[in-house]
Amino acid sequence: MARYGMVIDLERCQGCRACMEACKVENNTPESVFWMQVYRLEEGTYPATKLSFLPRPCQHCDDAPCVKVCPVQARYKRDDGLVATDWDKCIGCRYCAVACPYGVNFFNWRDPKEHQYLDHHDKDIVAMTNGVSPSYANPDLDRTMKDGRRTAGGSHLESVMGKCTFCVHRVEEGRQPACVENCPANALHFGDLDDPRSGVAKLLAREPSFRLKEDMNTHPKVHYIGQPPPAPDARQIEAVKGRT
Amino acid sequence: MAGQIAVGRSPSNSWAYYVWIAGLGLLALLGLYSFTQQLTQGHQVTGLSDAAPWGLYISGFVFFVGASAGATIIGLMIHAFGRQDYAPLGTRAILVGLLSLVGAVLFITVDVGSIPRMINLPWIWRNPTSMFMYTSLTYYLFGLLLLGELYYTIKVNRGIATSGDKKRAKWLAIAAVPFALVVVHAPHGALFAVVKAREFWNNPLLPPHFAVVALVSGTAIMLLVALVTSALNGRQLVRKETLSHMGALLAFFIALAGFLDFFDWIVFSYSGKTVGNEAWKFLTNSHLPFSAIHVGGYIVAFLILLFARGRGLGWLAVASIVAIAAVAAYRYNLTTLGVAVPLFGFLPNEEYVPTWPELSLALGIVAAVVLAYSVLVKVLPVEEQASPASRSSPT
Repeated sequence: MARYGMVIDLERCQGCRACMEACKVENNTPESVFWMQVYRLEEGTYPATKLSFLPRPCQHCDDAPCVKVCPVQARYKRDDGLVATDWDKCIGCRYCAVACPYGVNFFNWRDPKEHQYLDHHDKDIVAMTNGVSPSYANPDLDRTMKDGRRTAGGSHLESVMGKCTFCVHRVEEGRQPACVENCPANALHFGDLDDPRSGVAKLLAREPSFRLKEDMNTHPKVHYIGQPPPAPDARQIEAVKGRT
Repeated sequence: MAGQIAVGRSPSNSWAYYVWIAGLGLLALLGLYSFTQQLTQGHQVTGLSDAAPWGLYISGFVFFVGASAGATIIGLMIHAFGRQDYAPLGTRAILVGLLSLVGAVLFITVDVGSIPRMINLPWIWRNPTSMFMYTSLTYYLFGLLLLGELYYTIKVNRGIATSGDKKRAKWLAIAAVPFALVVVHAPHGALFAVVKAREFWNNPLLPPHFAVVALVSGTAIMLLVALVTSALNGRQLVRKETLSHMGALLAFFIALAGFLDFFDWIVFSYSGKTVGNEAWKFLTNSHLPFSAIHVGGYIVAFLILLFARGRGLGWLAVASIVAIAAVAAYRYNLTTLGVAVPLFGFLPNEEYVPTWPELSLALGIVAAVVLAYSVLVKVLPVEEQASPASRSSPT
């Protein structure tokens, strides 16, 4: 069985945030929710400053704290290593959000249908579509996955937790996650970490890498290459509106 | 004798009682209204966010679980230490424990996103590695234990208990204390302590710390119950010596909690963890009022109990109110500070401020619990049919 993970080349990343956009379009996430987040960071003191970027999807940890604390096993680890959320089981206690060291969980605080970027009830949009409001739900995301559970992000139920799924609905079809496919600089790589012939395994064999908060022993499956981790004095610039 | 039983049973039937009940009812209804707002508009009506996912509701939940566990100390005094002078408080303590547990469950109910799904926990859906799953199981078990204790105690109070019933009442009361502190409340400390992502909580001493703080709140609430009941009835529910003894117990528990707080911070400050400095900034800035109530409250209550315990019942009442406020502030700071420190150094601090719907809902739950107590203490036979004056002296 594969053990899927991601390798992010920080040397290649330009901080364009196309991955964030691709994730939003693919997963239909509500307003101000960013399952993929790219931090733009500044380090050092003027004029000796340095700009860096840190894309941060869910780390899909091998020893995920969110999986341990979820009282109902709505958050679980699949056989292929993806850490998934069962939309039909989550009780919305937010213990996973509290326990995650990476801040990748997003609770649907309000009805996601009414808080999309596109106002489905806007009279101009309704007029443009001849009275047919554009579809909110993406049926491809609403279906059950191969393990029989609804884990792709399409339904976005109110009061239920959501997070990056590594585009499980695409991965199951042998495709790459949307962020990986849409990165113009080819900075994001996805594949089987345990397969030495895979691109990600080869990159990790060739390049020095680090993972976020390794001291937490969560064993994230997102590896970073090309640049060292952000310096302790790094500060965020150009934050995206909404949740940071 | 009949008059004495009536005094023990209930506060007076004066208009003030009905005003009190009506006031509490109004507050509970206000809370219910806010709950409907939350149900219809989602949790966006609260001040919670993805960066600060736990706040006032979880603080209230932990406070009430602690109060529930702490109130069992009265049963221990009566049945394990033979302090029959505590007996008039025995049934009241069970009621306080039971209703506090209900309050805790109400707080967690309004906090979660899906109440119908939560009911599956832990019977249908469960995760054995989750502290939350484990604590949810303990509510049912502790609730059953307290209900059993209440049932047999009421039989004893009515004078219809067999010797077997009396034994059951006694052993349930004794078992309730370790069960409440070790099985129920310490795991609530663990619920926070196991979260290694939040260094402010990730402390092996937190579970025993929770148990000690539970004893502070439980003893303080029962002391206040004794004093208020006496004032309403116009006669002492328990003797002054008993109240003084409760005050001494409360002082001891406060000292123990303060001792744990002090060394908690000493160790934290020497740890060199960034989060320690960040948390300290919160405690001395935006959370200063709560820090002052927590630390200052412990000091003030302790000093009152140490020097003015025998100078009048009013001082005891002040000490117990201050101690309850100090515990509430501790619970609030602990819950909200744990999530306030950002997960990455480059992210801004996340300030959580409860909104009005959140505050009114929390107030409504507190009012509903006090209302239920005020009614139940009137309709249930909360005292054994014996005169307080005839109770044996402590040995």
